[in-house]
Amino acid sequence: MAEREDYDGPILEIENLSISFFTRLREIPAVMDFSCKVMPGEAMGLVGESGCGKSTVALGVMQDLGVNGRIVGGSIKFKGRDLNEMSQEELRAIRGSEIAMIYQEPMASLNPAMRIGKQLMEVPMIHEGKSEAEAYQMALEVVQDVRLPDPERMLRSYPHQLSGGQQQRIVIAMALMSKPSLLILDEPTTALDVTVEAGIVDLVKGLGEKYGTSMLFISHNLGLVLETCDRLCVMYSGEAVETGSIEDVFDEMQHPYTQALFRSIPLPGADKNARPLVAIPGNFPLPHERPPGCNFGPRCNYFEEGRCNSGDIPMARVPGNDRHSTRCLRFQEIDWSAPPDVGETTEKAEVGNTVLKVENLKKYYEVAASALFSGGDKKVVKANETISFEARESETLAIVGESGCGKSTLAKVLMGLETATDGQVLLDNKNIEGTEIQNRDTRTISSVQMVFQNPFDTLNPSMTVGRQIMRALEVFGIGKNDAERREKMLDLLDLVKLPRAFADRMPRQLSGGQKQRVGIARAFAGGARIVVADEPVSALDVSVQAAVTDLLMEIQRREKTTLLFISHDLSIVRYLSDRVMVMYLGHVVEIGDTAQVFAPPYHPYTEALLSAVPIADTSVEKKHIVLEGDIPSAMNPPSGCPFQTRCKWKSEVPGNLCETEVPPMKRLAEGHEIKCHLAEDILQRMEPVIVVTDE
Amino acid sequence: MDLLTWTGALGPILNPLMLAAVAVFLLGLIGNFVLTLAGQQAGEVQINADHTLTINRTPVDYALMAMKYAVLLFLACCLAYIIGGLVQSDPMDQGILGAMGRRFLPVWIALIVLFALSITFKRKLGLYGKLFDSLIGMIGFGLVMFWMFTAIFAGTIITFGPIDVISQMRNEVPGTPLPNPDDGAYLYYLLGGDNLGRDVFSRMVMGAREVLKIAPAATLFAFMVGITLGLPAGYFGGKLDTVLTFIANLVLAFPVILLFYLLVTPEIVDAGIPTYMAAVLFLFPIIFFVVLFNSRYHTQPTKRLAYIAISLVIGFWLYSGLAFNADPLGLISMPGNILIVFVSVVFVNSPTVFRIVRGIVLDIKTRDYVAAGQTRGEGPWYIMLWEILPNARGPLIVDFCLRIGYTTILLGTLGFFGLGVSPESPDWGSTINEGRRLLTIYPHPALPPALALMSLVLGLNLLADGLREESLKD
Repeated sequence: MAEREDYDGPILEIENLSISFFTRLREIPAVMDFSCKVMPGEAMGLVGESGCGKSTVALGVMQDLGVNGRIVGGSIKFKGRDLNEMSQEELRAIRGSEIAMIYQEPMASLNPAMRIGKQLMEVPMIHEGKSEAEAYQMALEVVQDVRLPDPERMLRSYPHQLSGGQQQRIVIAMALMSKPSLLILDEPTTALDVTVEAGIVDLVKGLGEKYGTSMLFISHNLGLVLETCDRLCVMYSGEAVETGSIEDVFDEMQHPYTQALFRSIPLPGADKNARPLVAIPGNFPLPHERPPGCNFGPRCNYFEEGRCNSGDIPMARVPGNDRHSTRCLRFQEIDWSAPPDVGETTEKAEVGNTVLKVENLKKYYEVAASALFSGGDKKVVKANETISFEARESETLAIVGESGCGKSTLAKVLMGLETATDGQVLLDNKNIEGTEIQNRDTRTISSVQMVFQNPFDTLNPSMTVGRQIMRALEVFGIGKNDAERREKMLDLLDLVKLPRAFADRMPRQLSGGQKQRVGIARAFAGGARIVVADEPVSALDVSVQAAVTDLLMEIQRREKTTLLFISHDLSIVRYLSDRVMVMYLGHVVEIGDTAQVFAPPYHPYTEALLSAVPIADTSVEKKHIVLEGDIPSAMNPPSGCPFQTRCKWKSEVPGNLCETEVPPMKRLAEGHEIKCHLAEDILQRMEPVIVVTDE
Repeated sequence: MDLLTWTGALGPILNPLMLAAVAVFLLGLIGNFVLTLAGQQAGEVQINADHTLTINRTPVDYALMAMKYAVLLFLACCLAYIIGGLVQSDPMDQGILGAMGRRFLPVWIALIVLFALSITFKRKLGLYGKLFDSLIGMIGFGLVMFWMFTAIFAGTIITFGPIDVISQMRNEVPGTPLPNPDDGAYLYYLLGGDNLGRDVFSRMVMGAREVLKIAPAATLFAFMVGITLGLPAGYFGGKLDTVLTFIANLVLAFPVILLFYLLVTPEIVDAGIPTYMAAVLFLFPIIFFVVLFNSRYHTQPTKRLAYIAISLVIGFWLYSGLAFNADPLGLISMPGNILIVFVSVVFVNSPTVFRIVRGIVLDIKTRDYVAAGQTRGEGPWYIMLWEILPNARGPLIVDFCLRIGYTTILLGTLGFFGLGVSPESPDWGSTINEGRRLLTIYPHPALPPALALMSLVLGLNLLADGLREESLKD
């Protein structure tokens, strides 16, 4: 292989890049007039909603656009050489050695039939012609670098034997094997849990500094970009709309879209009553239906007829800042510091009587060794362990925890899809924990309903939207005949602010946010009193999230519904919930009012969780806590306190109490309880994790 | 009278053209092969600065183009023979091809009407309409519908009765005129006579009717059985799944031909085993429809009653006629030997359908809309039949088309072994079997049914391919 000469110009220089996909009908421009520059050692963030072309840029850099994709203009220079003019052989030599890419789904990037070690060793053996022994040594080193325990065992294992976080670390290790000059990360942590994500982000940052690798970091999460990158580029509908250093873009944004994006995400300080989120009106334009002039024009507050829609808008330098430019004609006229138009502020709803009471709920699953012949080893999975809480009318109770913490099992028991092993669930003082859904009366079923996570899965794809809502009404015994139910269904569409014409549409004709609204309408069809919302907005784009969240809040205020909001996103939990319950491995580790949970004293897990959530605000300073390892399996939970294997505070507890005994629920204040052995004085010493510096 | 020629009056003009087309095609093929070996590549699409596309043609492209036009020319010649047959009135001018084209006139009209209507309204016709976006799908559909219409119009297409015997015509070659025709009778055996002196052309046309009467219906029944058992196996899982899958594997492991031989053994027929099997298998469609309507309308008692009553009455009427030959109205009946074929085909096909359905259900049951159905208190059968089954339709439709093809071949095989259908039945399998004995001397009685069988199965496979391709694009 050719020696890598030192090169100190920009690693990647993209100029006026345009990429189109050609279909039988038309040319679909995916990226237009995109320019950016990545200097050595610099991390560049690429932010935007789904469909804005950020991944296409990455694929363009890799020159891997598929059969239909073509670069129709501009140049991509890697270390001064134009990638567009290279032959396939030259590109092959660069890919995987000088430019490496990390994808979203780690399992899909690893060969499931090959041991990890062999996959890693391939890289130097192919690109640098190293011997097997040398390659093994390199692999071992890199695996240590990505902080995986027991590297030799790791190299011997197959991908499916590792957890998601470990797999992603292996993928990163593989990318680093050849010491690339440029690392492209395409949403590398989206499929992972928050605390695991924090670990990966920390790792990527550390490695960037150690190896001096330049990075192109693609993400939809502004907070994550703030934590990892030096510069960022905001994309909208195929165009870069604003680019600059993190500080400039976050604090002195010069494009209406960037501003709208920031106003639609819940930052500390946002409040559902006094300072509600501002959703971006309208919808993302389809690639072949882009408006003339500014793509963001139809959704922009500062739109000026005849000027913004008259012609192509070039990038303009923002004077005074370092390489900061924006694609807005009016950026010098707009008063960027003006406070947002506060829509309607609303009163905090009165919290009523207790509707739902859960006491010492336990749910165990028995997993038999073989399905055909019962007997043999039976393992017990303790999905829920002594869960107790209350939920009152018009209250939002957030249930927070990572995957495997038992929050979905809890939802299933509440819904009656599973029966409890022990303990009780009281709905209006009536026991429902042992009644399966088939045996529940219609009233009970319609009062407890659910909103699901994945908008693309929540509606039956082969039934019209109206039919699906009407079926719910029919099952709940509402309306005497189809005509009455149709009327009621149209009312429900009004309630979730969808046009009535949607009743006859098929789900595939709706966008993600619209589908989620239909899901909400369906849940409220029978006048639900308790709605379990299982991460209802986590799969939606940022600008849509705010609108759907606000809709949920509005319906809740009107119908006095109790909302059980399951989420791992603490920013949104802080914004909309009245009380928060934190779960870990089937246990409730902390419960209390939102203010109490978000302020010290914390349960050590809550503390780590708070620190892990990326916040898109430069004025926030966070304490840096990264948890070691992964969440233990519920099949084989640790002895004693469930969190003891990853706890930073374990040394503060005398003896081996943490390893032997499950801590009792300890009351700290009115309504605030934690499950921890830490002594009172140590808890009092805890410092807040999130500090807002100015303001 | 003289022997008919294959191509009639147009032959001297069109035959050289067709030969030329074949020659050009072969030259193109060889040229393409040689050029590719020599390292030439097909031209690539270039993008100009003004967002237009250009293709730089290389010799490889020209070779491919020559092949394409040769195929088109060949097809045009075939079309010309058919049109020639329609336009000219004297059979000598029409030739055998033209005369056959004329006999198929109702089929051509029906095909043209069907395609014209379908293409005009293709945007409103769902998956069926999308079929007309894919050339493969259209060709497949065309072939299938050709035989379908042939079966429907068989009565007007045939020139002689399928079992009419003219002893002088034994083993005569295609285009032989009748020695002393009756008044108004057709003057020629278009595709010759078989070893008993029956008209091969008419038997092939009537054979389409025999085959298409059994194959789609048997496949449909196999699907009913497979779906009714596969849905609960996949949805409930556990012991039920284990038992049903085990039984399905047992049936699949049993040699099919042996099973058929067993079923037609007189002792077994006398013991009534085929009837009992029919009694069980034909119950499934009734169960399917009753459960389907019951789960959907259990909240509306009057509607439910009406639908269930209708499905029970129609179901048991057909059931008594088909399974026991005891239709109270005397309209529906199935001869014993057909029943055996029918039952065997359903019996061997349903386990495969069962496994496909079970696999799809295992995937779909984890979707959120299934959970949404459960959380609003829907019964398991509603979820299986109304939430899961409609979303499994894509792969099932494709498999249905393929399976009709397999069933057709299976029926052919059965006919070839002389199983099931009556000895003089014109179905393609039996006809091939009869023609087999003198194949080296007289190939013409066996070839037409073989080609017919091949084109129908090919059409079904192409149709399935087209449907699969288009259903993925949604």
